[in-house]
Amino acid sequence: MMSNRRQFIVQSIGGFAGFLAIDSIFARAARAAAASGAAAGAGRSLLVVNLQGGNDGLNTLVPFGDPQYYRVRPTINVAASDVVRLDSEIGLNPKLAPLKPLFDQQRMAILQGVHYPNPNLSHFRSTEIWQTAAPDKYVDTGWAGRYLDFAGRGTAPNLFAGVAVGPVLPKIMVADKTDVPTIGDLRGFRFNGTRDEQAEADKILGGDGYKYPFQSPYLSLVQDVENHAHAASTQLPHMVAGYKPAIEYPKTPFGQGLNLIAGIINANVGTKVFYISLGSFDTHVGQRAAQDRLLDQLATGISAFYQDLAAHKVDDRVLTMTFSEFGRRVEENANRGTDHGTAAPMFLFGGGVKGGLYGDHPSLTDLDYGNLKWHTDFRSVYATVLERWLGVGSQPVLGSQFSTMNFV
Amino acid sequence: MSVDPLTGTGAEYRPAGPALDINVALDAYKGPWSPRLAAHLLRRAGFGGSPSEIAAAGQAGMGHAVDRLVHFVPDSLPAQPQGDISYQFGPNADVMQRRRAYVLTGLWWVNRMLQTPNPLQEKMVYFWSNHFTSGIGQGGISPQMMVNQNNLFRSNALGDYARLTHEVSRDPAMLLYLNNNQNRAQLPNENYARELMELFSLGVGNYTEADIRESARAFTGWTVNRRFGETAVFNPRFHDDGSKTFLGRTGNFTGDDIVDIIMQQPATAKYMARKFARAFIYDDPEPELVNALADRFRAARYDVGVLMNVILRSNVFYSDRAYRAIVKTPLELVIGAHKSLGATRVEPAALAALDRMGQTPMRPPNVAGWPGGALWVNTGTLLMRVNYLNQLALAKSAAAAAGNTAMGDGATMMDDMASQQALRMPANVADPSQWVSGVKMDDPAGLTDRVLWMTVQGDATPQQRQTILSYVQTDSVGNKVSLSMENFEEKVRGAMSLAFALPAYQLS
Repeated sequence: MMSNRRQFIVQSIGGFAGFLAIDSIFARAARAAAASGAAAGAGRSLLVVNLQGGNDGLNTLVPFGDPQYYRVRPTINVAASDVVRLDSEIGLNPKLAPLKPLFDQQRMAILQGVHYPNPNLSHFRSTEIWQTAAPDKYVDTGWAGRYLDFAGRGTAPNLFAGVAVGPVLPKIMVADKTDVPTIGDLRGFRFNGTRDEQAEADKILGGDGYKYPFQSPYLSLVQDVENHAHAASTQLPHMVAGYKPAIEYPKTPFGQGLNLIAGIINANVGTKVFYISLGSFDTHVGQRAAQDRLLDQLATGISAFYQDLAAHKVDDRVLTMTFSEFGRRVEENANRGTDHGTAAPMFLFGGGVKGGLYGDHPSLTDLDYGNLKWHTDFRSVYATVLERWLGVGSQPVLGSQFSTMNFV
Repeated sequence: MSVDPLTGTGAEYRPAGPALDINVALDAYKGPWSPRLAAHLLRRAGFGGSPSEIAAAGQAGMGHAVDRLVHFVPDSLPAQPQGDISYQFGPNADVMQRRRAYVLTGLWWVNRMLQTPNPLQEKMVYFWSNHFTSGIGQGGISPQMMVNQNNLFRSNALGDYARLTHEVSRDPAMLLYLNNNQNRAQLPNENYARELMELFSLGVGNYTEADIRESARAFTGWTVNRRFGETAVFNPRFHDDGSKTFLGRTGNFTGDDIVDIIMQQPATAKYMARKFARAFIYDDPEPELVNALADRFRAARYDVGVLMNVILRSNVFYSDRAYRAIVKTPLELVIGAHKSLGATRVEPAALAALDRMGQTPMRPPNVAGWPGGALWVNTGTLLMRVNYLNQLALAKSAAAAAGNTAMGDGATMMDDMASQQALRMPANVADPSQWVSGVKMDDPAGLTDRVLWMTVQGDATPQQRQTILSYVQTDSVGNKVSLSMENFEEKVRGAMSLAFALPAYQLS
């Protein structure tokens, strides 16, 4: 797997030292992005937002018209008078009010009752299932990572094909051939050495020579990632230098992460998939306060993000999709919280979205061991995003063919 | 694409080197012993070795070096953070006080890792804390509760895993972390029961959702009493003493009964054997190796000391397959570098750096602990790693720079922390001339080799060696320079920093 990456390193990065070379690499990345833009899905990107910890769908998208909702949730319900109504039965948690304008502009789609067969109630396994798109087996790559490999085949590797915000590479972005940079904040994303060290550090981080006196399963990974980190970190400040946010983002890590993503989108270097997470939604205890705080971060962040993108006239190029490993138990527990459950809604935002509510709200009385019954397979959502938004066949990424939907 | 994309590959992270002969994998290693293997042992069974520790273990021979690690000696290190770690809950809590308590608690632990005379004991504390996870400040867990849990792991470091599981099940920090505090007969909370089976013992696939519900009932009644020293209490009023059916058995089970039944399952030894293999041998152990270790673990009645003795003396442990086959965790990286540089103490700046590398001590990302392996290696975290080590190698000693020697006192240090200066001090490292003592100033090649030995025991390519040598011999515009009194310290620091950036240094 590493030979492609290695060739790229030798050809395009190995010899450079200094700003001129960096700028020329940056220009090359932009040209490559423009060239690959000839295909369907040109210039489009996907932002995946992980609502980590199992977001309770019932208090996010509230079935206020169903008396059963108030019966099973006597203390943690959202009062009908507080709900931001979308129709006569369903509405948003009041903390999501900043998203209502997007809904009214048909730029927000809500898919109800999404999950997968034989729901797994473990945070880790279920998160892994959503990230690998493989409910019935263990696989090493994420579905976005496989898409990046597939979309990038036959072209020069793009160091910014995918970008994950945060310190740890999420499994959704794990690929065979594509390294996805994880970026916490811009200031820390560079090598700090003295001037004297810099030239030699370029060689060491650039991975000179592969004749090691030992073997290790991780050796080429570390070497390649050091190389990519060094190259990406010298490019990133140039990429976002010309970008000025049109609106002040919330001072939360989520808001600041979206701001960074907007900067990279404006650089137009062909990033196909972004990832950011928000959490923890694991509200076994005292759910209202904890979930409301997070939904507030979600709504104010996404609202600012799309206002900023619109001001830069790129809002039509970015589709945002949320997911969470599962929803929560229908009935509240004794701690004013909820335990692990199943189906939940997914949200999609962006100029390409056909807004509105999709699918029926799962019944609150016809349950599966106390949990909602799902009706939409999450892989249909992925297939739709891949085929209709990113313009690739979904079968090679998902392993099977799934029906697509009409939300985009 | 003709290949099934969902099979993934992952093959590049499988152990490299000659295939394993399972019949002799766990037999005692009788091959040649060297300082290089001694350094390997000290990285795995501790947090790396200082040059003198590596030399001593190299001279001792494998058997004695392992003996020294597994037989703990009394230490005189503080059993408690130095300073005020009291902690208030609620909206009126003093945020600065809470932060100070977190920093003091984290510093206490990382300093134990650096200073302990029993590195394996501290390594096992780390292992257990990443197995039986809890998070400071989460669910109301106070710093003192985390310290107490940490000391529980210390006293059971190489003890009986079954007994430790019993004790963890009523450990106050754990009761809060997994909500058993809220688990009552009338309204069960399944969180602890689920994670006990999924992550602490049996592993996925060896129990059902019904087993979770039933066993949660057995753990009802255990809560934390905050008024009297934050201790665990059993309140019979909240306990469900009805009949439960768990893993095919029925009875009026308590939590202890549940743990006992779990310990009778072969799946438990297998799950734990794989975890030990991944932590100490390599990430993707062969099923045969896992089975062999599980057999030993069961035969030893879950005596962890017996198992670790087998592992640390085994052929597989010293094989090419295991050598540098694990990615260093940020804690291993940071503490190991302190040892290489002769640091006597870890300063608060290390905690901030660990956070940026993705490993805040006592705050794992979730109940599964730090995922590790390839996930430590990404562009963001590698830059953080290399930058922190660079800062460490270039740091003047804190005492020298601050012009005072009061940093050893925890309370004073915390006051100093308020002045940003102390936070910027990454370490109290030795004088760079000590790093390369014995090397003549007019011997740049000797200096380079010494630096490469201290950091990666020579595990560098010829080009990498040449790169560092060229740094020592030239300036940034390529002019030849000689080592002199004026540039010696700077060049030694810089060479060390470059060596820390070598891929080999990222691997244990």
